Amino acid sequence: MSQTNSKSNLPVKGQSNAVTATGLGAAGSDENQYLTFKLQEEIYAFGILNVKEILEYGKITKVPMMPDFIQGVINLRGEVVPVVNLARRFGLKASEITKRTCVVIIEIGAEETRHELGVMVDSVSEVLEIDAEQIRPAPGFGARIRNDFIRGMGKLEEDFVIILDQDKVLSVDELAAVQQVREMAPEQLESVEEKSEEDAENKEG
Amino acid sequence: MSMEAALQTYFTEAREMLEDMEAQLLEIEHQSAEELPETLNAIFRAAHTVKGSASLFGLDGIVDFTHVVENLLDRMRDGDIGVSADLISLLLRCQDHIATLVDETETNGEVSDDSLRLSRALILELGAFLQDDQPDSAKPGLPSTTEQGAETQDLPMGKGDDAVDNDCWHISLRFGRNSFRDGMDPISFLRFLESLGKIRQVVILDDWLPDLSEYDPEDCYLGFEIRFMSSATKKEIEDVFEFIREDSDIHILAPYSRLSAYIDLIDSMSEDDDRRIGEILIECGALTEAELAKALALQSTIEEAEQSPRLGDIVTKDDDRLSPVVDAAAQKQTQMRDAINRKQKSLRVDADKLDHLINLVGELVTAGAGTFLQAQILGNPELIESMSKLNDLLEEMRDASLKLRMVAIGATFSKFQRVVRDMASDLHKEVDLVITGADTELDKSVVEKIGDPLMHLVRNAVDHGLESSADREAAGKPATGTISLNAYHDSGNIVIEVGDDGKGLDPDKLLAKAREKGLVGEDQQLSRSEIFDLILRPGFSTAEKVSNISGRGVGMDVVRRNVIEMRGRTEIDSTPGEGTTIRIILPLTLAIIDGFVVGVGKAAFVVPLDVVQECVEFSEVEQTERDGQTYINLRGNVLPLVNIRNRFGVRGERPMRRSVVVVKAEGQSVGLVVDRLMGEFQTVIKPLGPVFSGLSGISGSTIMGNGEVALILDVQGLVQQITRGEHALEKN
Repeated sequence: MSQTNSKSNLPVKGQSNAVTATGLGAAGSDENQYLTFKLQEEIYAFGILNVKEILEYGKITKVPMMPDFIQGVINLRGEVVPVVNLARRFGLKASEITKRTCVVIIEIGAEETRHELGVMVDSVSEVLEIDAEQIRPAPGFGARIRNDFIRGMGKLEEDFVIILDQDKVLSVDELAAVQQVREMAPEQLESVEEKSEEDAENKEG
Repeated sequence: MSMEAALQTYFTEAREMLEDMEAQLLEIEHQSAEELPETLNAIFRAAHTVKGSASLFGLDGIVDFTHVVENLLDRMRDGDIGVSADLISLLLRCQDHIATLVDETETNGEVSDDSLRLSRALILELGAFLQDDQPDSAKPGLPSTTEQGAETQDLPMGKGDDAVDNDCWHISLRFGRNSFRDGMDPISFLRFLESLGKIRQVVILDDWLPDLSEYDPEDCYLGFEIRFMSSATKKEIEDVFEFIREDSDIHILAPYSRLSAYIDLIDSMSEDDDRRIGEILIECGALTEAELAKALALQSTIEEAEQSPRLGDIVTKDDDRLSPVVDAAAQKQTQMRDAINRKQKSLRVDADKLDHLINLVGELVTAGAGTFLQAQILGNPELIESMSKLNDLLEEMRDASLKLRMVAIGATFSKFQRVVRDMASDLHKEVDLVITGADTELDKSVVEKIGDPLMHLVRNAVDHGLESSADREAAGKPATGTISLNAYHDSGNIVIEVGDDGKGLDPDKLLAKAREKGLVGEDQQLSRSEIFDLILRPGFSTAEKVSNISGRGVGMDVVRRNVIEMRGRTEIDSTPGEGTTIRIILPLTLAIIDGFVVGVGKAAFVVPLDVVQECVEFSEVEQTERDGQTYINLRGNVLPLVNIRNRFGVRGERPMRRSVVVVKAEGQSVGLVVDRLMGEFQTVIKPLGPVFSGLSGISGSTIMGNGEVALILDVQGLVQQITRGEHALEKN
């Protein structure tokens, strides 16, 4: 399965601004292209090079005793891939699961440690080309999310898009480390667990 | 092939050669006089190839050392130096050292100073053997001269009327066009050649250089005419060029060769003008002008007589002395061809590619199961019929593809020859290692993981299992102890046995020791096999004294842990006075398990079927609670429970009827309380990846027939948590 192939078939259902093959094949190097998506009224982006595909939010298996931002695992054509609830990872309230909720599959790490992770977002928007000179460094304050998650602010016509640093947002060390803390004190986090359970059930309903 | 890839191949091959060398060295001691020469030859060939290839890459650290070893081996081969146990031990150490050199070169690109020091120390030891019967050739780094010396003395005999007055070898080299592409650098061959003697003169032929417009920098256009002073044999010189023999034109003429040999050389060269090559021969001093004139004259008479004997023929005819050499060379070439043919029957495949294939086939089986499920829902008999046929084929295909990963355990077993030998001499015991079932195949991943546990078991058997020779004789047993390694298949499992005919285990002594250490309660009764299992407990050692080999009670615990990790188990059988056999029983493959699916709330969990003992109905009324741990009474036995719902925080309605799956791990039975029993399911294990690395109670995941992911319960872990919990409570 080639990357181009999977990108050109982005199965974003019922969305007029769904990414098309033409959108991707447009002039300009891939390095400057970003997949933008919405999360609670804010526009974020990941560099397109690491985005492998976009899936509709579907059957997900919850993994017990994991931090609340690990939504669970999914079957991606025979591979078991963890899915991160991005809103919770940002410390926000979990978004409601709608028809437009997507899982963006992102490849992280290099060589032997390379693996795929799914990221849950409210809706996928489009692939944008943002020149390097249009990208400002992260502001020192004022952002809703952790500063080190931000690789830069991309300037659009009248808006800004927050370009995420995937290695920080999806740092395996951090995802796994949090869980060890949790293992030491399971009672304290019991309430969080229940909440995420409710969400899981909402989505199934 | 790029240089980097060629180098990689070299490291792999060198390791294989060294393993070969070790195996042969170990064999020598048991061999009769007739077999000895062939074995020595094989060892020599291994060392020689390691050295030869190393020199191609300019790996001096390896070349310098191996060369001395090779010299010694050469002398052994010639019968100048007799085989002795000391010598074999030294050679084994040398072989180890070469392996270290190869490893270091691969990881660091060079040899460490420590290793160079060791090289020098070993060369001194080797020198002692070399010196014993020939003091003048002990200078390391130079080829020995005895055998060739004898030859040189013979040479004047061949110096007849038409022999050329040239005391040097003459080597004509025409490198193949693809030499550079094959990773062969002409200069490295010349450098290596210099290790055999002195290059008097080199004429570089660039006649084939094309016009600049046609010039391809990756092509090799070079030829060399070399005048070479050396006492090496023709075969040794030929071996220098072993790697380019196929593609290149190589002619080697001995010192004082007959004129006719030169004529043939001139003939066989593809140069357009015979005179040109003649001039070159003069230029590098191989022939005088008069000799060339004579040769050319002779050549025309030969041509007139329509004789064009081959070089080999001329050499043989003219010079009987050389014929064994020619024969040997011809024979060697045949051998090499045979070896190449044999190799082609098996295929080297990247392990990752195989894993990928097996993964895909595993998916196919899963997808097939899903489709079959759909067919059953639809209830179309024809569809069900054809689906089940398809499923049968899929399962066969899976079995066949899993077999691709199967390798014979023999190679792992034979490594222990060395271990046993070294230990026996350290401990002053006489030990024989008997290997059976070396052909038994098992999954590559199992083979990789079984090495360490086996090492511990074998070391333990030699150190503790076997008595000293004196004790054995006193007990009426043969002085030489026997360690046996055996492997065989047994109903979907593979069984590996490590046995000894030593003193055996004494159950009473073991139990007493365990009680003393507090591992077993004073009034606790254990079965015979449970007592034997104690030796696998951490911190349990029956050895009276701790030796540097074993006795710290650490190794056996490692064995148990590794085996459990591989989803296997151990069995110990022992008769006091007669010996001990430890059996490791492993599943054939690590990738697929028979699972038992249970449902809790909306989630499905898989329990490995081989730990499931039975299923009973759960009744809340019957359970008793003590210090947060619940128990039920299972036919008079206390059965601790793990409520999966609570343990994993699963929410949802509790059904009226629930079940207890009784599982047994580490000798402890535990009941898992679940909502539903969903039956057996053969599953492909999918690791959960680094994000879930710290997760306890879950060992992996699998994809069910309906495409959903189910988690596999880590029964071992759950049981351990319970036993640990109990201990903690007892301490309070």
